[in-house]
Order: sequence, then structure tokens, then C-alpha cells
Amino acid sequence: MTASAAAREPAPVAIRAPRRWGWRAGLGLGLAAVGLVLLSPLVGSVAIPPQTVAQIVLHQLSGGALAQQPCAGSSASPTLCSAYVEIVWNERLPVLLLALLAGSALGISGAALQGVFRNPLADPYLLGLSSGGALGAAFLYVFQVGETEASIALPILAFGGSLATGIAILVASRGKAGSVETLLLTGVALASFLSASLSIVLLYNPIGSLQVSFWLLGGVGGATWNRDGIAFGGILIASTLLVLHGRELNVMQLGNDVAQSIGVPASAVRQRLILLASFATAMAVAFTGVIGFVGLVAPHIVRRTVSSDYRVVLPLSAVAGGMFLLAANDLAVSVVPNTQLPVGIFTSFAGAPFFLTLLYRHRRSTMTGET
Amino acid sequence: MTDAPSSPATSEILPVRLRGVSVRYDHRVALHEVDLTVSPGEFVVLAGPNGSGKTTLLRVILGFLPVAEGVAELFGSRLDDLAVRERARLVAWVPQDEAVRDDPSVAEYVRYGRYPYRGRFETESAEDLRQVRGALEELDLADRAHDGLLSLSGGERQRAVLARALAQATPLLLLDEPTSHLDIGHQLDILERVRLLSRRRGTAVLAALHDLNLAARFADRVVILSRGRKYDDGPPRDVLSEELLARVWGVSADLRRDPRSGVPYLLPHHRLVEPAAVRSAPGFGPVHVVGGGGAAAPILRWLVDRGYRATTGALHLLDTDAETAQLLGLPMAVELPFAPLGEEVRAAHRVLLGHAQAIVVAPFAIGPSNLANLTDLEPYAGQVPVYLFNPTPIESRDFASGEGRRGWEKLRSGGAQELGSWAALEAALHGLEAGRRLPSRPSPPAATPT
Repeated sequence: MTASAAAREPAPVAIRAPRRWGWRAGLGLGLAAVGLVLLSPLVGSVAIPPQTVAQIVLHQLSGGALAQQPCAGSSASPTLCSAYVEIVWNERLPVLLLALLAGSALGISGAALQGVFRNPLADPYLLGLSSGGALGAAFLYVFQVGETEASIALPILAFGGSLATGIAILVASRGKAGSVETLLLTGVALASFLSASLSIVLLYNPIGSLQVSFWLLGGVGGATWNRDGIAFGGILIASTLLVLHGRELNVMQLGNDVAQSIGVPASAVRQRLILLASFATAMAVAFTGVIGFVGLVAPHIVRRTVSSDYRVVLPLSAVAGGMFLLAANDLAVSVVPNTQLPVGIFTSFAGAPFFLTLLYRHRRSTMTGET
Repeated sequence: MTDAPSSPATSEILPVRLRGVSVRYDHRVALHEVDLTVSPGEFVVLAGPNGSGKTTLLRVILGFLPVAEGVAELFGSRLDDLAVRERARLVAWVPQDEAVRDDPSVAEYVRYGRYPYRGRFETESAEDLRQVRGALEELDLADRAHDGLLSLSGGERQRAVLARALAQATPLLLLDEPTSHLDIGHQLDILERVRLLSRRRGTAVLAALHDLNLAARFADRVVILSRGRKYDDGPPRDVLSEELLARVWGVSADLRRDPRSGVPYLLPHHRLVEPAAVRSAPGFGPVHVVGGGGAAAPILRWLVDRGYRATTGALHLLDTDAETAQLLGLPMAVELPFAPLGEEVRAAHRVLLGHAQAIVVAPFAIGPSNLANLTDLEPYAGQVPVYLFNPTPIESRDFASGEGRRGWEKLRSGGAQELGSWAALEAALHGLEAGRRLPSRPSPPAATPT
């Protein structure tokens, strides 16, 4: 602003958001995230030298132009080297990417749902969107289709399941008892009903109990580049659309009536956001099964550390969710040697205490007016 | 530059125009054929008892409730024809209490008001910033702009809500009990600011208010709603009356005028009367209270509360008892201040005494100027029940050198009954009503009415 403008204008009010942890903490978290992504390809039952991993990635990304000898500098034999390439490029990287994608989808869905329901306890898992998606996907195993058909049918069926759950929640919201609390409780009831249904479908399918535990506890182990591609497309679309609703969600925190008086068509936005969150959740669930608590934890980390402005919370929840799931998966792979545990175990181990803390904090803060 | 929203073209069109608007919740009629207009720059207050339809009416104008019958227009456009965003540029809303959950800064919150002016992919314009800044400064929140909304006091928070509505830069502002959670200082502050805004920006204001005195003070026009219908509509001085309060609110009150401003204000003096205690039986005459110096006032109020007709005398003008009787609208005999009771006044007093069904002698201080109050009673002592109400002994309030005490004794020997408590008085009057004279029975100590 020029000096003359400053003289004419009334005392300028600089407008900024309230401070949280500050840029140092933000930078720290950012570096941790980058480090996590960089180190994750090293994690696994086979120990591969970091330099080799880096060279393999470089080699593959550049189409062989760079790092023409991926295993140069190590003592790996050509056979071992090709095994390394297979492991890093066709297993670890797709898994890493799927963890990031599914985590971000769950994180952003959680943020959107928490905003829509104006309740910090909302989450695609607790509301039954995940179970609904998983139930939809599980029908695939009942019908036994081929691998190619499955990669297309799976997300569609999962989407159908999540969507049906989302619609059921929305229908509940249209009735007389459409309070936020009723909606949440409806979701919670639906979630347990759907989990039970999912268990039945999976128990009586020909694939057996291994698949059952995969779907119920979740995991990113089934990742392939193809699946990642489909997930990436769907999640990118849903997330982009969700991120565009930051301002609406901010205003909707004031209540639907006030939001409407400010010009936000609150019920339309609510419907749209629930559908988008269902879609994003479905994309994750279709490939990972039911992974709990990511959507709960991620938005909270963002709110606590950066801002409660939904224009920030939505995209950063995607990032935080991705990181959370990736970290949980790294643990799932490395805690017990030579065994891959379902990642859902770890997110639940971290998430359930988190949930309880929040619940009690939330109850206290309704008295003091803090979030 | 501040009157941008009310260009000459729009100022010809009424901000609010309702014709025969009816609204139903399920099958219950919440509003019935209400007509209402609000002109640019006008401050209109909606008043009425709880459940009379004030909030419903506001919600209709905000487009939250569908109109079952009638026509509702906002600046010449049918409400149904306006998109949510268009409407938000015409009318802003300050609700009773707004749920603030997350913790945006005050400035951030006020910026929400600019929502209807920005497209999804537009950045904040200079006009947006100017309006936000203007609203913050107008409401003295500039120095709190970066504080969290939840750190504000109740008064500041309501100012922030007003600032948010202001940033919407609408030519119409709706307020629903904007001051109900605030103390009197902040109530006046908020309404004063709203009125100033409406003057300065030409903003039309429609506010639901419970407090009729605030309404009278700030409103250009008061619209009274009663059971979903419009009961009255006009300037406060024409609309507010004792009759209105009695009819619409079931409250008896006195209408006064602020001597400085001429603004009417109402002094309610209604308290709940137990139905069983209402003495409406025909043939039961008034109870006369002899008093002075404030001794009769509690008895008069007590009697009126219980539904008795009451008279009083002989009092001096400006005396507390006389003022109370005047406020309660009771017939009385009054003498000029400090003068001995004159012959005319005593005659008038005797007329009242003659009509009384019972006479209560209040524990008043007896001096030479009002000694006649006791002596004039003597002929009645044998004819109607005379109750000497003496929670304080006569000796302590005889300032007529023993004459008071002698008069008291005379009454007692003439058949007057001494009563020491409110409960005893109540029992005596009850007995009287039932057509029998009860001997003063021992009664439990009762709480004296205030």
C-alpha cells in the first residue's frame, strides 16, 4: 500500500488467522512428512540398501535413462537385483502410493464430514461409510469375477455401498429428527449394522477367512500400479471438489440457518459434501478394506497445529491422513519380522485412544466453549 | 459511499412487503394472514408474547419457511424467486444466539459476511476488505480483530455478530431478540448502534424484541403479534397502551412517558393471581384500608393481588400510600401534603368507609394531622368488621401524645378485632367472604408478601 493510500484509508486492519503452533512446527511436520515418504520404500521384510532403492526408483521413473545400473555400488547379483527391482517398484512403491491415496481420501472425507456434521467425532469409519463401501465391495467375492473385471467392478461396488450409506444418513437428516446428534447416531448404528452384514457376507464366501480379516481390518498390501491409478483418479476428483467447499464449510459452522442467511445453500451443500465424502471413502475402501480412525485423527492434527479454517483443514487433512496411514503401514510391515499385519490394527491402536481423549475433551469444552 | 446498497431505484421499492401471509407448521397455524411492510431506513420492532409468531415471521422473510398462503416480497421480488445468494445480498440476519464452534478470529468471522459477493474462484476484492474493515470499525472491534471469537465477552460477541451482518452490506437487517442475553448496558448499546446504522446507511431494520420499553425507545414503528395474527401496527406512542398489555400479554401495567423524550414506557405491576383467590363474587364490596406514610401500601398491594377491590384514605398527597393507591387505580380520599385532614376530605373518606365491606386499619404512625382517621372510624366499628392490623404495637407509633393510643383502644372496645399477622388477616377476610365471622384463630406464621 502506498503512503498516500495509507493516509486516506482508515486505520488498516490487517487480517490474519489466529496463531497455532507457528511456522517452526509446520516446517517440522512438513520435513517429517517428506522424510516419511522418502524412508518408507526402505521398510519391508527384505533389507535393501538405501542407495539401491534410490537408484531403482530413479531408474524406473526415468524409463531407464538415469541410473542405468540400479544395483551398482552394491554386491547384489543380477538375479537379486531384479528381485530388488520387483520388490521396490512393483510392491513397495504401489503400497506407499496406495497408503498415501487411501489415507488422504479418508482424511479429507473425515474433515468434510466433521464440518458438515459440526461435530469433531464424525468420521467415515464411525459413520458407516467405510463399512458400507466394504459391504458393497465384498459382494464382488460372492459373484466371483475375474481379475480385470474386479479392478473395475470393485470401486463401483464400493462406491455403491458407501453411497447407499451416505444416502441413508441423508434421508435421516431430512426427517423431523434431523439434528446433528441424530445424524451421527444414525451413522453409528448403521456402521455396526453394516459391519455385521459384512461379516456374514465374508464368512459365507468362497475366499475364506484371510479375505475376511483383510476387509475388516484393512490393508494396503494388495496395491498394484493399476489399482493405484484408479484410486488416484477417483480420489483426485473427489478431493478437488471437496477442497472447493472450504468457505461453505466455514460458514456452515455457524449453523445451517445462519449459513443460509449468509448465502450458503446449506442443505444442498450438505448433501453434496456427504456424497463426495462417500465417493472418496469408497475409493479408499475398494482397495484397502475398512481402515478406521484415519478420518478422525487427520483433521484434528491439522486443526490443532495449523488452523481450523476449512480452506486449510480440507487439503491438509488429506496430507495428514496420507502420512498417518503410511506411518501406520510402515509399522504394520516392520513390527513383526517377515509378517505383514493389517494396517487397520495400527490405525485403531492409535485412533481409539485419540477418539476417547477427544470425546472427553469435547464434553468438557462444551461447558467452557472451546473446541 | 456508505449508502451504496440503497440506490434511489431500490429505495422506491419496499424492503419487506407481506400481504396476507399464512404459515403452518404441520397443521398448526403459526401465522395467519399477516400484512407487513418495512420502508427503507425504518426501524420496525416486532413484539408479542412467546409463541405469537415473531420468529416465524422473521424466518419467512429469511426464506427458511415456506409461505402457505399470501405474497411475500423482498425489494419487489417474490421471496421464492430469489436464490439463496441473491437473498443474502438483500437481507442479513442477527439471530438470538449464534453457535460459534471452531475458533475463527473476529476479522475472519466478519469476512464470512462477504460470502454472497464472491464467486468460488474469485479472490477477496478491495470492496470486500473495505466492508469488513468498515464493519469492524463501526462496531469498535478493530483492536480485537485478531482475537478468537470465543475470547470475546457476551456484548462484544453480539457486536461481532452485528459486524458480520453489516459486512453483508444489505439494505435490510433482521434481528431476532438480539439483546436477550445481554445486560441492560449492552442492550442499549447494541440497539443504539443498530438505530445509528439504519439512520446512516438507510438500512431498513426489522427486529423482534421482548422488551417493550426498548421497543418504544428505538422503534419508528411497533408491530404487535398475538397468536399468529397482527394485532396492531403503528408508532410506539399510538400502539403501546395499558390495554394492549392487558389484552395481548395478560399483564396489567401503567403507561408513563419519559419526561425528557416523551417516549412511552410501561410499568408492569401484575403478579400471578391464584384463580381460587380471585374475589369476583358479586356482592362482596371493597375492603377499605386506613393508612398513611406507607403503612397501607403493602396491604393494598396484598389485597389487589388477591383480587379484592380496595379503597383507602384519608391520605396526604405525595405520601407513599397515596402514590401506591394511585398506581393501583384505587379510589381514595386525599388531603394536601402536611395539612390536617380537612372537612371535605373527611367527608369523602366517610363515603368510602360507608361502602366498605370490611375496614383494615394499617399500622400507620399517628400524629395530630391524621388523628381524625382513627376517630372517624368509631361509628363503623360496630357495623362492619374493623381489623386493627398491628404487627407493631400502637405505643411505638403514637406521635399524638397518647391520643392515638386512646383512639385505638376505643375502636377495640367498640368491636374492632386486632390481627397480628398477614395470615390472620387472610383468614379473617376469608371467613368474611364465606359469610361468617371467624374468631381470630391461631395461625401459623405466614410469609409476609413483599
